[in-house]
Formats: sequence, C-alpha cells, structure tokens
Amino acid sequence: MSVVSAVSRRELVRAAAQRSLTRRRVTGRIAQALCAVAALAAVAPLVALLYYTISRGAQVLSWSFLVNAPTPPGIPGGGISTAITGTAEIVGLALVIAIPTALLAALFLFERSGRLAAVLRFSADVLTGVPSIIIGIFAYALLVLPLHAFSDLAAAFALAVLMLPIMIRADEEAMRTIALDLWEAGIALGARRGRVARSVVLRGALPDLVTGNLLAIARAVGETAPLLFTLATPLAAMTLLIYTDGTQAFPIAQETAWGTALVLLAFVLLLSVAAKIAAWRISRRAR
Amino acid sequence: MSPDTTGVLPREGVEVGGVRAALLRTRAGRGEHVYTVVRWGGAGLFAVVVVALLISIAGSSGQALTHAGVGFLWSGTWNPAAGEYGAGILVVGTLLTTAVAMVIVVPIGLGTAAFLSELAPRWLAGPLSTLVGLLAAVPSIVVGLWGLIVLTPIFANQVEPFLASVPALGWLFRGEAYGPSILLASVVLAVMTLPTMVALSRTALAAVPVADREAALALGATRWQAVRRAVIPAARSGIQAAVTLAVGRAMGESIAVAMVIGNRPAIPSSLTAPGATLGSAIVNQFAEATPGIGTSSVIALGAVLLLLTVAVNAGGQALLRSGGGHRGGTAGALR
Repeated sequence: MSVVSAVSRRELVRAAAQRSLTRRRVTGRIAQALCAVAALAAVAPLVALLYYTISRGAQVLSWSFLVNAPTPPGIPGGGISTAITGTAEIVGLALVIAIPTALLAALFLFERSGRLAAVLRFSADVLTGVPSIIIGIFAYALLVLPLHAFSDLAAAFALAVLMLPIMIRADEEAMRTIALDLWEAGIALGARRGRVARSVVLRGALPDLVTGNLLAIARAVGETAPLLFTLATPLAAMTLLIYTDGTQAFPIAQETAWGTALVLLAFVLLLSVAAKIAAWRISRRAR
Repeated sequence: MSPDTTGVLPREGVEVGGVRAALLRTRAGRGEHVYTVVRWGGAGLFAVVVVALLISIAGSSGQALTHAGVGFLWSGTWNPAAGEYGAGILVVGTLLTTAVAMVIVVPIGLGTAAFLSELAPRWLAGPLSTLVGLLAAVPSIVVGLWGLIVLTPIFANQVEPFLASVPALGWLFRGEAYGPSILLASVVLAVMTLPTMVALSRTALAAVPVADREAALALGATRWQAVRRAVIPAARSGIQAAVTLAVGRAMGESIAVAMVIGNRPAIPSSLTAPGATLGSAIVNQFAEATPGIGTSSVIALGAVLLLLTVAVNAGGQALLRSGGGHRGGTAGALR
C-alpha cells in the first residue's frame, strides 16, 4: 500500500510541476511577445518621422535651396543659405566660449577632490537638465534686455551655457579613463602638473574628449528655444526657420520648413555618427 | 576604494595612490601658477554662470511676484489683457502632459529596453539599439514639425474620435476633436523622450551581472521570470533615473509642445481639449508681452519651470548616487 501511495504521490507532484511550468511558460511567452510589441511601438513612429522628413525634405532640396538667400514670400528661387551660415556662426562662436572653459573646469574637477569639486559637479549635473528655454530667458535677461538689441552673440552665449555642463561632465569622464599610473609617472619624471595635464591627460583622453564634445555640439545645433529669445530674425538659424515657417499655413513656407528640417537632421545625425565612430575607434584601440 | 589614511579625500571611482596624495598636499611650484590660475578660471567662470543664471531669473521675475504675490504660483488666471497673471493652470497643464506622456513612455520604453537587452536575438538587438541611439539625436523641433503637420489631421479625424468611442475610457477623450490637444502634445513628448528612456534603461539592464540571470535560471525560472524577478529589480535605480530624466525633459520641452497643444490657458475639459504648459506659454506669450510687468510675468513662468525641473533632476541625481554598484553604466549613458 505504501508503495502505491508513493507512486501516486509522485504522479501528483509531477502533474503539479507540469502545470506550474506550463503556466510560467505561457506567461513568459505572452510577456516576451508584449516586449516585442513595445519595441515595435517605440521604433515605428520614430522611423515614420525619419522617413517622412526625408521624403518631404528631398522634394525641396536642391543646390539652389542650400546656397540661395531667402526671398520675400511669393518670389520663387529662395533658399536657406542665411540660416545655414547663421547656425554655423552661432554654434562656432558658442564653441569658442564653451570648449576651453569646459576643458579647464574639467581639469579642475580632475585635479581636485573635496566639497568644492562635488558642488561644481552637482551643479553641472543639474544644469544639464535645465530646460533650454530657461537658458534662453537667461541670455535674454543678461544680454538682450540691457543692450536693447538681439544679437548673434547673445544666441551664442545661450548655446555655450547650454553646452558647458554637458561638456564639463563628458570631459571629466574622459580624463578619468587615463590610468593614474601614467599621471604619477609623468610627475615622477619631474614634469610640472600643467605639463602632465597637457601631454598625458589631454592627449590620452583625446578620442573620448572628441566624442563627448561632438555629442554636445549635436545637441546645441538642434536647439530652438534659446534662439527664440536672442535672435532678431528667424532667417538667422535653421531651427528658428523651421519653427516660423512650419507654423504658417502657406504650403510654400511648409516646404521650406521640411527642406530645412532635412538639412538640420543630416547635420545632427552626421555629428552623432562621427561621435559613434570616435567611440568605436577607442574601444577597438583599447583591446 | 582604499581607506583614506592620508587626509586627502579619494576622488570618486579612482584609487588614490600614495604618491598622488603626497603631491596633492605639496604646494605648487612657481611654474605651476599659470596652470593653477587657468584651472580655477575655468571652474570659476562656470560657477559665475550658474550663479548669474539663478540671480537673473529670480531678479527678472521679481516684478511679477510683487505684483501678483505668492499667489502667482497657483492663481488660475492668465489674462494679460486684464493684467492678471498666474501660473496655476500652466503648472497643471505641464504636469498633465508630462503624466500622460509617461503613461505611454514608461511601459513601452521599459518593454523595448527589456526586449533589446534580454530577449531579442543579437542580430536584431544590435542594429535596433544603434537606431534608437541615433533617434535620440533628432532635434525636438523636427518632432514638433512632424506632430504639427502629420499627426494633427490624423488625431482630429481618426484617433480622437476613435478614443472617444471606446467604452469606459471615452469620457477622458470626449468633446470636439480639434487635433491640437493635451493628448497630441503628450504623444509628441512621448516620441521625443522614448529614445532616451530606452537607451538609459537598456544600459541599466545590461549592467546587471550575468550571474544574476544564471542564478535565476538555475533555480528553475523561465527566461521571462529571470528578467522580471532578477534583472529588472537589480536595475531599479538605473531605470528610476531614466524615468526621472524623461520626466525632466518632458516638463521642460517648450517649442514642440507649443506647436501641437493648441495654446489655451484654461482647465481642459478632457485630454482632447487644447491646453497650455509653462513652456508653451513662455514661447507664445513672450513676443506679445507688454514690457515691464508682462515680460516679468513670462520670466516668472520660467522661474516656476526652473524650480520644477531642478527638483526633479536633483531627485534623479540622488537616485543615481544611491544606486551603488550600477552607477558606472547609467552615469556613462547619461551623457
């Protein structure tokens, strides 16, 4: 009798285990399918957006669209050259301010420990998350309002403030990848700290520095809100041109907006692909 | 990290050797002064910018706050023509669009991250992750343009009438289907923040040690159970940080929202009604603001927005720091 009951008990356990496994497998299948659906739902609108921008923009894009100056409404043959050069000028000017400042501030964080460095680091992290429109208001209150003039300089200042915290943190992380031994070896050779910073830290971190700064630039190029408060005319930057033309009901204005959007998108994607390539070359070199 | 026996605090994440510690204590030689000065100069310039930003935003909103009092924060009327300024409705609009966007972003983003990091075959996960990473770089103005020109008619003619007809949920979407609405703004925000959410939570999941998964599988867990019970809990702080960051970005976005929300500073009767957020109101009101009190009130809206986002981001930073072991991965991806 005890043998029989042992066998039947084993059967019961096995059946229960089988039921549990089936239930867990079914749940797992459903959950995995839901995750795949989520991935599809995430990627589909983004691909649609990309596809739509490219197809609409490509209809407008031509050599003359890129190199001609804008014409008054109704007159054909206008281009967006002022917006392209305007964006390049503003971003270039912003880089002249932001890159050296960020590098030096990052060296400061690299060399120094303690509360002051921690406070600066925290400010940079929080400032990274401050909405760009607030940085626009800041540039407006600081430069436009007192001088009674909208200017490229104010716009460049706004973009520089936007990039600074991103660059500082990226630069510092890049410097941290340098082995401490190398730093110590430099000092042990009798080199001054400034010399070690230049020849060991900056040189060793260069590819990482390039990646981080390129990503920051890509973000600045695509910003609209800071320019809204600092530039006198929407013709002076690509993003602003997209905003003003895109919100008009005229088909011709919307075409200009799509064409500009495609140029801007190409610009930004190129920058982030360049950053990815730089990062990839680093990881390959490290092996 | 080695215990600090030298009196020099070790820097985060780096072993401080004895030589370095000794050097940090020695006074810099004469030739070092230039280097010291420029380093302090860079850090000082950044500190000045941060302080100047706070002072100028606070200073410029002073006039509005003395005009309307502390009630500016919750007063529900924004009527410049009557000289009535209050941020209340706009704060509600900001929180509402952000909340609806997160209802979309969190499940989809987390599901996608789990798919890319844990479930998808490698040949699919690699290219998809790269694609999502690239899409994170798409400027928000382009998403806004797409929302305005492509999504608005679709929402007015198909999506909103359909949602209003769904039983049990229809009341959320009742009323005239215009197109520009709280709902459309939330969807645009969702599209904009999804890539960041996916990239950050994917990194957090990938940072969980393989041993955690193997242990769960060895105990008889199915693949999904291992993800659900072992991997996701271990990556929790990174995922929370990703959500916080997405919330911060959604609250602060202005231009793209201004293009699709309909810009009506009133309590919306449903999600398909037009509304306004702090950011969209700043964009729209700024050009028309009467010099003086009008401009100051718009800047005060910026001050309120600044407070909201700084609170959210400081919370996110605290979460990241408390995350311990997985900090490296998420902090790296945050850049």
